[in-house]
Amino acid sequence: MALVRNWQLGRDMSYWYPEARPTRQFAAVFDINKCIACQTCTLACKTTWTSGRGQEYMLWNNVESKPYGFYPLAWDVRLLDMLGAQRWEGSRYAGRTLFEAAPAGERVLGWRPDDLDYAHPNVGEDDCFGRIDRGAALSLPHAAWFFYLARICNHCTYPACLASCPRGSIYKRPEDGIVLVDQGRCRGYRECVKACPYKKVFFNPSTGTSEKCIACYPKIEQGEQPQCFVNCIGKIRLAGFVSVPEKARPDNPIDYLVHVRKVALPLFPQFGLEPNVYYIPPVHVPLPYLEQLFGPAVKGAVETYRRAPEDADLAGLLALFGSSQQVMPRWKRLGDTVLGLSEDGRELVRVPLREPVYVRAALDSVRGVVRTNVP
Amino acid sequence: MRKILAALLAAAACGCGSRPAPPLPEVIAFPRAALPDGPKDPAWTPVPAHVASLLLQDLVEPRQLTATTAALAVQAVHDGSRLALRLSWADPTVDDLPGASRFVDACAVQFPTVVTPDLPAPQMGEAGRPVTITAWRASWQASVDGRPDDITALYPRAHPDHYPFAAPSLPAGSAAQQAMERRYAPARALGNVMEGPRMSAVEDLVADGPGTLRTAPQQFSRGEGRRTADGWAVQLVRPLPDGVGPGRRGAVAFAVWEGSHQEAGARKMRTGWIPLAIREGP
Repeated sequence: MALVRNWQLGRDMSYWYPEARPTRQFAAVFDINKCIACQTCTLACKTTWTSGRGQEYMLWNNVESKPYGFYPLAWDVRLLDMLGAQRWEGSRYAGRTLFEAAPAGERVLGWRPDDLDYAHPNVGEDDCFGRIDRGAALSLPHAAWFFYLARICNHCTYPACLASCPRGSIYKRPEDGIVLVDQGRCRGYRECVKACPYKKVFFNPSTGTSEKCIACYPKIEQGEQPQCFVNCIGKIRLAGFVSVPEKARPDNPIDYLVHVRKVALPLFPQFGLEPNVYYIPPVHVPLPYLEQLFGPAVKGAVETYRRAPEDADLAGLLALFGSSQQVMPRWKRLGDTVLGLSEDGRELVRVPLREPVYVRAALDSVRGVVRTNVP
Repeated sequence: MRKILAALLAAAACGCGSRPAPPLPEVIAFPRAALPDGPKDPAWTPVPAHVASLLLQDLVEPRQLTATTAALAVQAVHDGSRLALRLSWADPTVDDLPGASRFVDACAVQFPTVVTPDLPAPQMGEAGRPVTITAWRASWQASVDGRPDDITALYPRAHPDHYPFAAPSLPAGSAAQQAMERRYAPARALGNVMEGPRMSAVEDLVADGPGTLRTAPQQFSRGEGRRTADGWAVQLVRPLPDGVGPGRRGAVAFAVWEGSHQEAGARKMRTGWIPLAIREGP
């Protein structure tokens, strides 16, 4: 075991391999507040990558309702239960990571789902926490809550799948940090399936190997965002590259949201993998639940996000989400216009800070008919 | 242990009613004009067995810390150029169908590539001192025996909507259709046939340390596994190990994976090196 720096924990931690950060790290920000669980992302991924034999139950991308939705079943609560209660001291994690809590003979604390755990990807869909008594829907804020959590592989800085593979069949690309299973080398031991806390490595019984989200690397190599990003009709996703905090650049959109404004947070940072999909937390969910998912910084993130309408830079950057198929490594705001830029400053896309709103009169006086909202 | 030995010896005797020979202290390959035709060939009945106690694989991570399969009966014969081994062990569950949490029964036999008094590490050899391995899997056997590569093997009532490579526009079995089907099975497209349609129930492998296992450049072994009254019997046939001809001595090691215990890779029951004697004879 080596001692590595995990900035999400605010401390060093034990990992199976020494720290070896890629030249740049693929990362994403998902704005949970905008997700409507239409599953277009899920289908975009499914039809692109996992429509073969043995991939029938595989969803590299899924969207589940929290708190009662899981794919696979109980993926998070089961591991949280195994890990036991842990604590943060301010922004420093004082508990044990999955690597530090590994039992004897294992590299990672983990569990392997049963076949049937994958059988109900929509379990808990739209189930809310709290009772819906008479009239509850009329009061604000709502007493009951749920939200949609869209999930892909986190392409972690310290992947548990990679650490657990005794064959070294999983690797992290030095050029972009994307984590891949070498399909020519994997022998289907499923240590990675057991170790990944997010359960984003899947066994293919037809090929006998494990497979996972590849961050659409052929698109990333062309400077384009992955399928689940560009097909998102809610425009909740932005792909890019994240720096370590010391090298954060305000003109890097991911850095700005993660490091500068601290409005986007990793999912279950306490597991210790330094995941690289960052979530803007839902603003309507009780803090204790959010803190368990996103760590102690979640209160500040929610407050910052709530102020976005008065925050031209933050609102402007959020307007770039879903505005282009291309990865925008840089950005800037010019008054009421926001630009997505290439690495060398070339303009890729230009969007207004606020979309103009046009209101048509209800009556079409020319034709003498009442307009209706139909296509 | 006595019960296990009795069961293994009974298994080794093929259930043919003959009194089994007393167990051997090492693996001895007896000369035969012709090798048996499979693990259930009565020709195995009079061949004495070596009963190897199986150890936990607790040398490298991930470790096996719970004992499962206790022992393995090994019979061996040769025809002067080829070695036939019959491995039999008790296993009440048939695990031959891979799935997300379904692992398959398997066994393997390992030889040092070069026989020297100082043998390489028994757990997959070591750097610069490789071992050769012949492995058998129950799922490969099921495929060879005709089980289709289909989701309905796992879930009989499953009904996939559509596979792109099964579109009516592609004539079934055509070169274009087969090429497209391969593209949708990435491991297979790379020649890594861990499951799915297989021509052989065994694979020849080489390794020079834990985590280095790889398919051997040449495949020369044959094998067949069948259920016995209380477990598996597997016959493996391969050339005699290099430098271990009739009248010579070598070494051999074994491993068994119990699918119902989710054993795979390093999670297995194993032996250390066991002396191997190739008897001379007509």
